Amino acid sequence: MTDIEHTLREALQQGQKDAEAGRAPDFDTVFAAAEASVSQRRRRTTAMGGIAAAIVVAAVLVIGQMRPAERDWQYVDPDEFANSTSWAAPSDVLLPEHRFDIFGDIPVLIESTDTDEGALL
Amino acid sequence: MRDSDVLVNNPHVSRSALEAMHGQVFGWALSRCDFEQAVAEDLVQQAYVELLTGKARFDGQSSLKTFVFAVVQNLSRNRYRRLAARMRLLGKAAPEAGADVAQLEEPAEHNELWKAVQELPARQRDIVELVFCRDMTIEEASAVMGVTTGTGRVHYDRAKKTLKGRLAND
Repeated sequence: MTDIEHTLREALQQGQKDAEAGRAPDFDTVFAAAEASVSQRRRRTTAMGGIAAAIVVAAVLVIGQMRPAERDWQYVDPDEFANSTSWAAPSDVLLPEHRFDIFGDIPVLIESTDTDEGALL
Repeated sequence: MRDSDVLVNNPHVSRSALEAMHGQVFGWALSRCDFEQAVAEDLVQQAYVELLTGKARFDGQSSLKTFVFAVVQNLSRNRYRRLAARMRLLGKAAPEAGADVAQLEEPAEHNELWKAVQELPARQRDIVELVFCRDMTIEEASAVMGVTTGTGRVHYDRAKKTLKGRLAND
């Protein structure tokens, strides 16, 4: 260590001692406060975990109750099934109507009166 | 280290070891917050909480003192980041209100050289304090500050030069 470092160390340590003199709080008090803070945090975490678990259980119960009630399954009775079914003949009422003008729409056939060996051409 | 003394979540740290360095840790916390007693007490308590919960886990790679000092340093940085963010918000809402919050307690009266140290740039002030007041090596001080040893050495040399000039003037 050089002389200047030695001088600086002595002077600064004195300054530091003056600045901090009697200001440090009791270790036991600070450490106890830290321990209390940790245990409080732990209790809070446990409580939050408990609340979260309770919410999950409540949600599962509510969702479980919202499910449809279970039915007694049974085979279909053919007679009952047939009676519950009605059948109607197909109808064309829903089909579009196809109407045409027999005078206007039918093309005029070209007729010939010329004959060939007695037959009309 | 007595077995009953060891922290449950930090098997390499004992209560008695923390007690032995409590004064130094508190001094370091004080200088991290412009000598505000209440803030320093909060910082130290928070550091102990981090050690008790094992969030800051000491694995013996450095000395315990270096480790605890680094924990305090990180906590104070986080605190200043939060404060800065809050002040930016306050500044946006009402610029005068931000100025009020920034006002901090004046440090107590010390000798001239101590005052000169307080006027150094933050990194230089930190390394001077750690080396000269807390008896750390430059390597240890750099580890606490979170910089490389080379960078720490540069800050140390610059600070020493400034203080040497100050000593010569006095």
